[in-house]
Amino acid sequence: MIKLTIDGIEVELEKPITVLEAARKAGIKIPTLCYFEGLKPFGGCRLCVVEVEKLPRLQTACTMMAADGMVVKTETEKIKAARRAMLEFLLINHPLDCPVCDKAGECELQDLVARYGPDAGRFREGKRRHPESFDDPIIVRNMERCVLCTRCIRMCEDLQGAYAITVTGRGSHSFVEPFSGGRYDCEYCGNCLTVCPVGAIMSRLHRHSYRPWYIQNNVETVCGYCGVGCTMILQMREGQIVRTIPEMGLGLNNGLLCVRGRFGYDFVQSEARLRMPMIRKDGELREVSWAEALDYVAKRLREISEKHGPQAVGGIGSSRCTNEDNYMLQRLMRFTIGTNNIDSAARLYYAPAQRFLERIFGQGITANLIPGIKNSDGVLIFGGDPTQINPILGLQIRAAGRESATVVTFGRAKGLERFAHYMLPGGPSVIDAVTGMIVQELRDKVQLSGENKWLEGEIQKTRVSEAVEGVSVDEVVERLKEMTNPVIIIGPEVLQSQNSDRTLLLIAQIVYLLNGRVFLLSDRPNYQGCIDMGVLPDMLPGGRPIEMFKHKAEEVMGKEVPTERGLNLFEMIEAASEGRLKALYVMGENPVFNLPDRERVTQALKGLEFLVVQDIFLTETALMADVVLPARAWSEKTGTFTNLERRIQMVRAGAESVEDMGDWRIIAELAQRLGEEKQFRSVEDVWEEITHVSPLHTALDYEEISKGNALWPYNGEPLRGVEEEVEIQGLDDIKPLKVEAVLQPDRPLYHSGSMSRHSKALKSIEDAPKVVIGEALSEKLSLKDGDRVRVTTERGTLKATVSIDSTLGDERVFLSNTFSEGNFSSLATYGVSRLGSMSLDANKVRVEKEEA
Amino acid sequence: MEIFLLKNIDNPESHRIQVYQQTGGYEQLKKALSMKPEDIIQEVKNSGLRGRGGAGFPTGMKWDFASRDPKLPKYLVCNADEGEPGTFKDRPILEKNPHLLIEGMVISAYALKAERGYIYLRGEYPHAKVVLEEAIREAYESGFLGQDILGSGFSFDLSVHQGAGAYICGEETALIDSLEGRRGQPRIKPPFPVNVGAWGMPTVVNNVETLSNLPLIIKIGAEEYKKIGNPECPGPKLYCVSGMVERPGVYELPMGTTLKEIIYEHCGGIKGGGQLKAVIPGGISTPVLTPDKIDVQMDFVSLPKVGSMLGSGAVMVFDESVCLVRVCWRAIRFFEHESCGKCTPCREGVGWMRTVLERIESGFGRKGDIELLQDIASNITGKTFCPLGDGAAGVVLNFIRNFPEEFDYHIQNKKCMVEA
Amino acid sequence: MEEIKEILKRYPDRRGALLPTLYIMQREYGWLSQEALQAAADALNLPPATVKGVATFYAMYRHKPMGRHLIQLCTNVACMIMGAERLVDLLKERYGLEPGGTTEDGRFSLVIMECIGACDRAPAMLVDTDFHADLNEQNLFEILEQYK
Ligand SMILES: Cc1cc2nc3c(=O)[nH]c(=O)nc-3n(C[C@H](O)[C@H](O)[C@H](O)COP(=O)(O)O)c2cc1C
Ligand code: SF4
Ligand code: FES
Repeated sequence: MIKLTIDGIEVELEKPITVLEAARKAGIKIPTLCYFEGLKPFGGCRLCVVEVEKLPRLQTACTMMAADGMVVKTETEKIKAARRAMLEFLLINHPLDCPVCDKAGECELQDLVARYGPDAGRFREGKRRHPESFDDPIIVRNMERCVLCTRCIRMCEDLQGAYAITVTGRGSHSFVEPFSGGRYDCEYCGNCLTVCPVGAIMSRLHRHSYRPWYIQNNVETVCGYCGVGCTMILQMREGQIVRTIPEMGLGLNNGLLCVRGRFGYDFVQSEARLRMPMIRKDGELREVSWAEALDYVAKRLREISEKHGPQAVGGIGSSRCTNEDNYMLQRLMRFTIGTNNIDSAARLYYAPAQRFLERIFGQGITANLIPGIKNSDGVLIFGGDPTQINPILGLQIRAAGRESATVVTFGRAKGLERFAHYMLPGGPSVIDAVTGMIVQELRDKVQLSGENKWLEGEIQKTRVSEAVEGVSVDEVVERLKEMTNPVIIIGPEVLQSQNSDRTLLLIAQIVYLLNGRVFLLSDRPNYQGCIDMGVLPDMLPGGRPIEMFKHKAEEVMGKEVPTERGLNLFEMIEAASEGRLKALYVMGENPVFNLPDRERVTQALKGLEFLVVQDIFLTETALMADVVLPARAWSEKTGTFTNLERRIQMVRAGAESVEDMGDWRIIAELAQRLGEEKQFRSVEDVWEEITHVSPLHTALDYEEISKGNALWPYNGEPLRGVEEEVEIQGLDDIKPLKVEAVLQPDRPLYHSGSMSRHSKALKSIEDAPKVVIGEALSEKLSLKDGDRVRVTTERGTLKATVSIDSTLGDERVFLSNTFSEGNFSSLATYGVSRLGSMSLDANKVRVEKEEA
Repeated sequence: MEIFLLKNIDNPESHRIQVYQQTGGYEQLKKALSMKPEDIIQEVKNSGLRGRGGAGFPTGMKWDFASRDPKLPKYLVCNADEGEPGTFKDRPILEKNPHLLIEGMVISAYALKAERGYIYLRGEYPHAKVVLEEAIREAYESGFLGQDILGSGFSFDLSVHQGAGAYICGEETALIDSLEGRRGQPRIKPPFPVNVGAWGMPTVVNNVETLSNLPLIIKIGAEEYKKIGNPECPGPKLYCVSGMVERPGVYELPMGTTLKEIIYEHCGGIKGGGQLKAVIPGGISTPVLTPDKIDVQMDFVSLPKVGSMLGSGAVMVFDESVCLVRVCWRAIRFFEHESCGKCTPCREGVGWMRTVLERIESGFGRKGDIELLQDIASNITGKTFCPLGDGAAGVVLNFIRNFPEEFDYHIQNKKCMVEA
Repeated sequence: MEEIKEILKRYPDRRGALLPTLYIMQREYGWLSQEALQAAADALNLPPATVKGVATFYAMYRHKPMGRHLIQLCTNVACMIMGAERLVDLLKERYGLEPGGTTEDGRFSLVIMECIGACDRAPAMLVDTDFHADLNEQNLFEILEQYK
């Protein structure tokens, strides 16, 4: 126990911390500039000086450790004079341009000068000049305002791990710069903006657009881009988002955001947003009133369902909509119309993978805490770069790698290049063989628990008949067997091939052998919510198989659960093209753009008698609709998302747009027109019902959820003891496959598709398709970064810029599904894998250099 | 006193291992390897050896801290950055007697159980780099470096790490950062390098001259060693004298030789029989002395009594022909150039002092400038991260305190007293 | 590069080899252009921004193209009082060479140095890696004329 006195207050400490932190504990705030919670102490600004009895010199509280018996004073005349002196030093070369500086009002330097002085300048010479840099689309650098606290650098290096900026020069000619000296070549997380205490690093997006005191309200919500679910604050003025910021101590992201979360919100303010419902009249979409639109939809759905039976109607939910929205759509389909034809894009890989793992390990296998990753002693990554797909989760891996964890990647993971200890190949041709080789070696080196006899049998059955040339797993296995709490991360890139069931079983074997915790990467914010809300043809809310839980659900709902087997997303497309499905209700999804094989999907949708699209933009799918209903964007909604760790989090509306009525309410209104009696007055009413219907959400209310700790299975009951055996072919004869170059969907950092391509900010970073290839291919074609190429598949050709990924050691070619002028799905076709996910093996691709 | 550190240097082949060995070189290493490491540390403690890099920290104590830290590997780093203006005392060892340093380092490394060593050599000494690398090669060949040195089972690898022009990298923690390939900025202490140094491991940083004393201590033992010079901080000392003396150069003398003796006897007095005006006893960062103070013994304990410091033992002599305002300005320009930029007072304050000095020196001084300078300097003093900034402020304060009339004259007459 | 591989052996991590690698790149490229810095970053697999930060901290790395010969003249206190500043003026008069600049014919570049540890034989300079001391108005040019 350490006892010390700070300004006469006795402070007791359990463990040694700095004087600064000890003072904060005692409620004494010592002024600082270079200190930032969570960053390593620096001790450069010298503002936090304090007097410590018996020490002649002033001491910096941010670097000095509190010691027993210390007597500290934090505000004496001597200290104030020293602080005034430091501030005077900081001001001599400072431009004193507060009137035109956006930071004014939240500038730490300004506040400190107001408090300590000086109030007159004594510096008479010319100031150091260094022109403001506008070379970057997002970040403005004004090095005349910089106080060289290096918070941005420490953020960029130590927390973000991007190493994009540095201090160049020395002494009074030190400046913060990216490598180029101008434009950044970085991850654009913008976390440097958070930490800059002055107006030296500012967002260009907000330049001269507002003053901090203009902000009318701060709304805490969860990011709508990916399955991590970072908490952020929407800063609002007159119904518009002025900016989004993270906050220390808030959410699992604890003060960090990624580029999409920080800059990508402006899509909600896009001109292209839909405002009014539209009905196709004489072949054209015409704006109508809500009443007319809803009456019409209800009428048509009733007609079709009466004429062709409820099985002719289907619904597609949205992994970008809230749980409440999805629940209501599911409810409409199942309990009002009477069909199990309901599914979402979680079908593409997330839901089948989770189901597969749950069959083996039981429900909840993927429910693990993201902030726990950095404390693990090993991280294995299969199927994608987490620093792109789920950036804030990626940072946890970087942190783990920096600490004591061994990081092993399988396949490409550019963002972990500096953090991974082993980068093993993981392309489709070798992934099974490599994992199989590990299983073979590992199974003899670890104790089998006997818990899952069937899986142990499979583990013993596993046999690699032909090892991967040039790959040795010995060293990795040595490290693996020492791990006590490893994490296993599984991403889409191993889940969308014909063989992905075998791959996943092999990964599951490693999970079992290492007793690892599993994370499923989620490129959308609410895949998990879609699953948990029963937006699946065969599952009721709470992840309950219909056959087993039909009666229970009927009891709660007082309505029947349809018995006929529902169609999944692929089957609905199939059924539509065959004319079996007549009406489709699409909420917040864009299958024409997001599913490969645009021709097939378009033809299928054309075959429908009635297509309703509820969305925020007039998407490719909406353009085909008979009725388009304008939806609310993420920042206008209240409800919940369930993130990839199965944490249920509150989404809160920053401002509600006037004309629309919100996704769940649209459906509630429709349901009423279709004879539903129950009234849902508010979103809480929807949640209320969910807590009764879904055994996972029992007695959970918004108040609890708001605390941020509503983790699966909060209060609720997981489904236990349903582990099953799955049958996988060819486990005993694994060998490297001959695979030709195939086109795969990229999930880039700066984009996410329909939303991000309406973000001016994200487009200013990247506004054209990029095709990512490995080094081998780039050498073969003598391509360098930035070269123009033609990418050709059976479906067509497009032009793009090349980006070379040095960690991509296999035959895949990646293209994102972002830009309408050049996207993955327009060049690809799909099948259905044995896992039940989308299979993308068939997209053979040719890349050619485009001669200038 | 027998010359030890600079032995043989008049021999043009003094840097070769044969010459070194012919006069007893590497014999002390053999002796040391037969001793227990702890005993060597004890011997160094008993000898009273204090670091020659400037701070005068007791070497034995530093070693003791490092050897008590259980972490492995340990590093031994020789500080050959010699950046303090006026200092060139390590240079003859580096260029002409490199094997003395190497022998000293192997003995030290053995005592510390360090298996890896670096000589952090300033970039401005390209010739020393060539000499040292050749000497290291010779030492490897002769089995004094490398695996299992002289069959002792002890191994030690040594290489030269060339700095690239940064005075601050003489400061030991900045030096370590620079060794690790970083911007050489001082680190927060504690932890001290003896516990968390290079690559996070226990690291001993010692000056060239300090390490070169090791063979002597092993040779004659602590008792005899203590008899050299001032017993409170004994040993031979290299004094390097520059400026207005007849015979500037490096002198190996017993610690505690008086400044007067150095200037007037060894260096032959003031150049051209001029009048002594001021003397800096230990490199530019140490407080300047007026002529009435030169009876002082040049060692770690005596100089503080007259308000200065031994520093690196770099004596700079100024006669009546030298403008001290200009010297002060030039010194501050140096500090401004060398400020690492980490802490506010040094980064901003030193440059400010330079601008004020510049206008005084160039005849544009204003009334109040002296007070302004003193105020800036005292605002820096005691608030910087490392001693560099304090040193700069000290230069200004001491020059003004000791020679106020020169500053006044500049401001009032808009010109220099010396030229007048 | 073989040379860098050798250097890497001396350090427990890649970063340790950065200062020597920058010297090598400076030698190879003549100065530390963006390209040279990128090459150093690639050779050691370090982030380029980090490499630049390190390179620009040190006074002896060159950040613009240099003449064939580099004069590094000390003007610190000891050299100053022995007349180094006069030599700077002379270089300007004779070669039109300014501190930090390069002669028009690309023969010499001049960098003003802080103390180069030759105070007893001041003023002093380095020309490339050769050391010259006890300079005065005459021998300065005799020495420099040997560098073509
Ligand atoms: C600004 C500054 C510059 C220094 N420069 C040198 C130097 O050039 N050479 C040196 O040996 N010590 C220098 N030192 C002292 C070192 O920090 C350190 O005390 C010394 O290397 C320890 O060696 P010693 O105990 O053998 O003296 C410097 C210290 C400071 C604060
Ligand atoms: S006093 Fe501060 S800025 Fe100056 S060299 Fe030391 S740490 Fe760097
Ligand atoms: S906050 Fe302590 S020195 Fe900056």
